[in-house]
Amino acid sequence: MRPGTWAALAVADFRERARRPAYAIVLLAAVGLGYLAVPAAGDHWTIVNAGSYRGVYNSAYVGTVTALAGALWLSAGGFYVIRTAVARDRQTGVGELLAATPMRTVDYLIGKFLSNFLVLASMAAALAVAALAMQLARGESRAVDVVALLTPFLLCTLPVLAVCAAAAIVFETTPVLRGGLGNIIWLFVSLVAVIAGQSGAAPLGGLGVNAFAESLRGDLAAEGFKVTDLALGLMYLDSPPRPVPWSGVDFTAAFAAQRLLLVTLAAAVALLPAFWFDRFDRARRHTGTPRFTMTPPDPGAALTAGIAPPDVTQPPATTVQVPGITRLAQLEGGPARRGWGFGRVVVGEVRILIGGVSKWWWLATLALVVAGIAAPAASSGLLAAAWIWPVLIWSRLGCQAREHGAEGLLDACPGPVVRVLAQWLSGVALTAVVGIGPGLAMAVDGRLAEWLAGALFIPALALALGVISRTQRFFQAVYPLLWYLVINDVGGLDYMGLLPDGPRPGTVVTATTLLLVSALTAVGVRQRLR
Amino acid sequence: MFELIDVTKVYRGGKRAVDGVTMSLGPGVLGLLGPNGAGKSSLMRVAATVTRPTSGRVLFEGTDVVARPDVLRRRLGYLPQDFGVYPHLTAREFLSYLAAVKGLSARVARARIDELLTLMHLTEAAKRPLGGYSGGMLRRVGIAQTLLTDPRVLIIDEPTAGLDPEERVRFRNLLSELAADRLVLLSTHIVSDIESVAGDIAIVAHGRVLRRGSPGDLVQTVAGQVWELIVPPSALAAVQARHTVSRMVRTAEGVRLRLLSPDPPAPDAVSIRPDLEDAYLAVIGDVREVVR
Repeated sequence: MRPGTWAALAVADFRERARRPAYAIVLLAAVGLGYLAVPAAGDHWTIVNAGSYRGVYNSAYVGTVTALAGALWLSAGGFYVIRTAVARDRQTGVGELLAATPMRTVDYLIGKFLSNFLVLASMAAALAVAALAMQLARGESRAVDVVALLTPFLLCTLPVLAVCAAAAIVFETTPVLRGGLGNIIWLFVSLVAVIAGQSGAAPLGGLGVNAFAESLRGDLAAEGFKVTDLALGLMYLDSPPRPVPWSGVDFTAAFAAQRLLLVTLAAAVALLPAFWFDRFDRARRHTGTPRFTMTPPDPGAALTAGIAPPDVTQPPATTVQVPGITRLAQLEGGPARRGWGFGRVVVGEVRILIGGVSKWWWLATLALVVAGIAAPAASSGLLAAAWIWPVLIWSRLGCQAREHGAEGLLDACPGPVVRVLAQWLSGVALTAVVGIGPGLAMAVDGRLAEWLAGALFIPALALALGVISRTQRFFQAVYPLLWYLVINDVGGLDYMGLLPDGPRPGTVVTATTLLLVSALTAVGVRQRLR
Repeated sequence: MFELIDVTKVYRGGKRAVDGVTMSLGPGVLGLLGPNGAGKSSLMRVAATVTRPTSGRVLFEGTDVVARPDVLRRRLGYLPQDFGVYPHLTAREFLSYLAAVKGLSARVARARIDELLTLMHLTEAAKRPLGGYSGGMLRRVGIAQTLLTDPRVLIIDEPTAGLDPEERVRFRNLLSELAADRLVLLSTHIVSDIESVAGDIAIVAHGRVLRRGSPGDLVQTVAGQVWELIVPPSALAAVQARHTVSRMVRTAEGVRLRLLSPDPPAPDAVSIRPDLEDAYLAVIGDVREVVR
């Protein structure tokens, strides 16, 4: 047990994250969530659907619904915010410094777990402040009961966030889950967990919804109202819910004990990777991106500390012959001229995009193509499969130069707009190759325009999200959700052309154009801000 | 050919990295020398159009390249201090990609890449993914990409860091040859690199150019101010408190010091010939005194 080490690690890591501009956006998102949780009296949307009713906006109700919203959304989305604690140490080299200290691996894992938890808890704190502000803004009850407001955060939100913090540690330290695949898996794991966590049979109180539901049902029944279902999410109601008095959840000691046990189990889960964490040993993992980074010592220090004075007045002992550089004009055989290199830039971008993709991935792609040609009747299902399969490759668009540290070289090259468009076209090429099988079947059915619109849209979305967020995680979180909604028949979002009530191809192409304009604008703005 | 006019760069948070630098540059090597945080890299990034200056102008052959950066970028070879590469591309593929981005025709790019791979001793490794390269090999790839076009301006930050001694000498000779009709803006912490290639040196600190001149001119400024003496170890701290000590070696007689002082620091001190390190320390030491 080294609490001092845990605290030092957690606080340093938290400071590093909290001082990044992105942290302010995260806090703003939490405040926005607080706004959503307490809609105006006439609004039709709600995040807690209790039939036709809601509680009067007093401290207990506002605190409870925002705390439950926090448990749901901060755990699902917050995961993507916090899952860089170990990766950052790996990338910056701090991990290797720590690995060479006597610090035990379990101490490191606990420190990172606490840091993750601090980040999420700070978001919950922002949400709690927003809840108080919303209670006062809505004005249905001016009496502030701090205990009633904060207890749901303490007992409902924080234990769930502890589980999320532990999950992030497990994902970051487990080879298969460390990369983009982990982001996709988390999306579906969190979807399942959110649904299961709202059930009455959820272990250790789940998300805490059940305690709220029972209390609300009881109070409403006493007033003569009946609530059948209660669900968390973001829902539209046909008519605004009717406010009824509600005194808040009477949290029992048994419930509090269950939540404490949940936090303890989360901490234990965060320690599990001690069995397999590589402790930043490069020999135990893929070496990753090579990057030439050298920060030379202060020359003044080097000079004053030097023992053997360098004799800089003497010519070098080694004589090295250097051949000359041929003039471009000589290579051209005439005056030097510039070539139209756009096609080769696209080829280069394709190479960069598909670099390192395994042969097994290509074999599965081949199987998709062949199946699409052999079974045109199954084209819809195969297209859906084809257009989720490259998600981890698409997510590279727009952020590869940054992630590999090549921005320094590319920023001094001409034509940034050309490079952005070339990246998009490389994504279109990949999308077309993967979806060519079902695409042929759709072309025969006269739906080529729908297929083409989708093939143009997906890389544009990936590129825009990559350029704007500068990370692959954003697309990895957003796109599978979009895809999931489409295959679950949300027609308005159908970019694939699978559903009869989906948007027309022209609409999808317009969205594509807007995404490309967004990407180009982001590049331009970033260049001006540098 | 290349002018920086009253260039200032202030980062968010108020750090003034470059403070009103004005320089007129022509063909040849200009070496920037200064301590960490002096603003050398910021100045080079502004010159390379990678960073926009907060105020001031950067002119290349009369064109304001802050407003029209591509005019310079087409004639520029730039190597930042820290850079990355795409690990799954081979050296040839990476250079082909950058050649296309820089607008070289396919035929010329092929010939130039062959030439550069040979020059940088990378021919045998050219078909291997860059992910397997050593730090020195990556540096050579970085140097090669600066020479893909016929750059009129080469801006190179710490080019020899990571290179072995033979590679360093080869690169310095290459720079000397290239500088015959190009501008080479070179930043390094290695005084011997600067001294052997730069005909013009600017000493930079606190975002300003403190002194500029040829190596000989700079050395001349400290003529008669460099001394050698031997002191007992117990007197070392007192000497260091009074003078800038550039080197010290412990010997059986005591500690032999090389130090800067306008006057003889002790009756038995011997005046010796100054070098560029002495000149650099004298300038930086003066600034530190002022700052204190």
